[in-house]
Amino acid sequence: MKLPTSPLNNAQSKAAIFDKHPQIWRAREKPLSENKFSLGVSALDEALHGGIVTSGVVRVGSLTGIGEITLFKQVLAAPRTHKLRVFIKPPAQLQAPWLSALGLTLDQIIVVLPKTDKEALWAAEQCLKSTACHCVLLWNNTMDAKAARRLQVAASHNDSLCLLFTSPDQQAISFPISLDLNLQIRDSKLMVNIVKQRHGWPVSNIEISHSWTPSNHTIQWAMQNNKEATPSLHSVI
Amino acid sequence: MMLWAYFYCYQLTLDSYKKVESATGSEVPTVVYHEKANQILQANTLAINEGIECGHGLAQAAALCPQVHILEYNRDAEKETLLSLANRLYPLASDIVIDSHNAIAIRLDNLLQYYGNLEALWRVLFDEITIAGIHFYFSTAWGVEAARLLAKNKTNKCTDKKETITLLLSGCRLEQTELDAKTIATLAKVGVRQIGQLLKLPVHELGQRFSNDTIRYLTALRGETFPQYVLFRPSISFQQTKTLSFEVENTQHLLPSIKALLQSLEHYLRARNLLSSSILFQVHFREEEPLPIEVNGAMPFATQKDWLVLVELKVETLLLPEPAIAVSLTCQQFEPIENDGNDFFSHRFTTVAQKQLIGRLKAKLGDGSTLHPKAGDSHTFEGMTVNHIEETSPSYASDITPAFLFCEPMPLHLSTRICFGPIRIQTEWWSNNPSKKDYFIAETSHGVRLLVFKDAKAHWWTQGLYS
Repeated sequence: MKLPTSPLNNAQSKAAIFDKHPQIWRAREKPLSENKFSLGVSALDEALHGGIVTSGVVRVGSLTGIGEITLFKQVLAAPRTHKLRVFIKPPAQLQAPWLSALGLTLDQIIVVLPKTDKEALWAAEQCLKSTACHCVLLWNNTMDAKAARRLQVAASHNDSLCLLFTSPDQQAISFPISLDLNLQIRDSKLMVNIVKQRHGWPVSNIEISHSWTPSNHTIQWAMQNNKEATPSLHSVI
Repeated sequence: MMLWAYFYCYQLTLDSYKKVESATGSEVPTVVYHEKANQILQANTLAINEGIECGHGLAQAAALCPQVHILEYNRDAEKETLLSLANRLYPLASDIVIDSHNAIAIRLDNLLQYYGNLEALWRVLFDEITIAGIHFYFSTAWGVEAARLLAKNKTNKCTDKKETITLLLSGCRLEQTELDAKTIATLAKVGVRQIGQLLKLPVHELGQRFSNDTIRYLTALRGETFPQYVLFRPSISFQQTKTLSFEVENTQHLLPSIKALLQSLEHYLRARNLLSSSILFQVHFREEEPLPIEVNGAMPFATQKDWLVLVELKVETLLLPEPAIAVSLTCQQFEPIENDGNDFFSHRFTTVAQKQLIGRLKAKLGDGSTLHPKAGDSHTFEGMTVNHIEETSPSYASDITPAFLFCEPMPLHLSTRICFGPIRIQTEWWSNNPSKKDYFIAETSHGVRLLVFKDAKAHWWTQGLYS
């Protein structure tokens, strides 16, 4: 004979099922130990619990030209060296010597120049699904949550990474992706805001001293420090 | 409908010679000469510019161009080159037919489901053969016979439309087919000179007058019967011979050929997920017995890099009894890759996936949409990056290149702060548009770093971004 179950018990057992579900994370829990790519910046790695995810979409909201790619130098160059790095719709012509200086092998770089944003999304999805790419760098300002979800699924199912560069004003809309970062320069320091991360809390204003161009620092230093010294070279005794 | 592609590689000897030659330097007029027929069979562009044509005799060629370089025609060597091409294509296409010594046929219709559409598949095959450095005429048709006829007719069209193929076929002349001279002469007497006319005639009429072979050929051409072909299968063991382009006395000059052999061994092993711990080189001479060089690794390897270290040591101590003419590499013992805790998926063989991806992107977005940036041989910012595949000449590295360069410099209107510079680039003073530019890296109020320059008239321009 079947015993009638009380509605309370039923609800509890359902909650128990959710408790066991591996994909559901609670803020009171510790961050899950996942595979992460370290960025090589200790303050940022700590806030991100080891670095950025190895597969999934990472949105980077920033102006173009504040060192936003150089920040990911270690992630781009070091892991999965036998796979491709694809640049889709970069803002201007990508320069080979700069790529080499970043530590990338030129044979593994593909630049895709689609005519429309829709084609760019198609290309990004194909690249992520192909299993031939380590990382896809996509510049897009017209994405919606549905497209972001598509890319997130394509990336996480095929073990590849997608860096999505957008302008900062696009970040008002939240996307179902692994990580959402906002970068800006304040007082010649790079400020990183973690807008949203999976399995962790948002963190604001992580300050990073960041240099991504050569500077005249050495010359200035030399000029200042050698002012007082009497010129010994070529001087007649 | 079955769909076959036919690649007629008309200058294999020249192509395989060029691969060796391009490493050593400048090109010279070169022809391939068939001794028995006293005929020039293949000639490179330089030789053709000198007036040499295929079909000339040796005396005529030498008279037209005294410094012409002559290669001996060798059917077996051509076949060898073709087989290595087939080995290269095998991971990309399953049904490959080696047709005589200089042509390859590939069945396309059963591959379409893997590649999505014909365009994508075609891109992959076309690129692979082009990268292998082989020149070819090509065509597609419903059978090997028809495709062969079209390819030898230099059709160079890839299509799966029946009407187009029929139209192209009917324009071919009877002399280009494989019908014997007697049949062609007989047909010419009744005014049949083109395939189109012949294909219109009913078969049973022809059957009364011509031999079975003719009928068999014609039905195959029409796509009504499909003759059996032996499909290409890669051999179980690895064996490849490389003829040296000159007689080698110094053992160090053997290394480039050895490197090339190891490279193809690497491809062979990776495609099969195998390793090997023992390989055998043989150096061939004119008179003496071949000299074996056995190389054993302490552990199984696959990559060229690993093997080369060992082989270089062996070659250093080698003494050649007489000048060498060829090197061969044999590998018969293979071992499977043992999965010792490595993540299987992260090391999956991705070359084929890469090629498929590039083929797919090119097919949908157009040829010009997918670029491979390479370092150019210029020290100006405009010329540092080239986007087409070519043998790289000397290239300049620079640590002040921006990440992105605008197509055209734009006038600089923002207020900026200079954080690096100046670097003066003064060039083209020997030509009509000399340029003198002082380059700086400048930072805007938002922290964006730009490549800016001041031209000779003291105008400021911005040209790139540092990301």
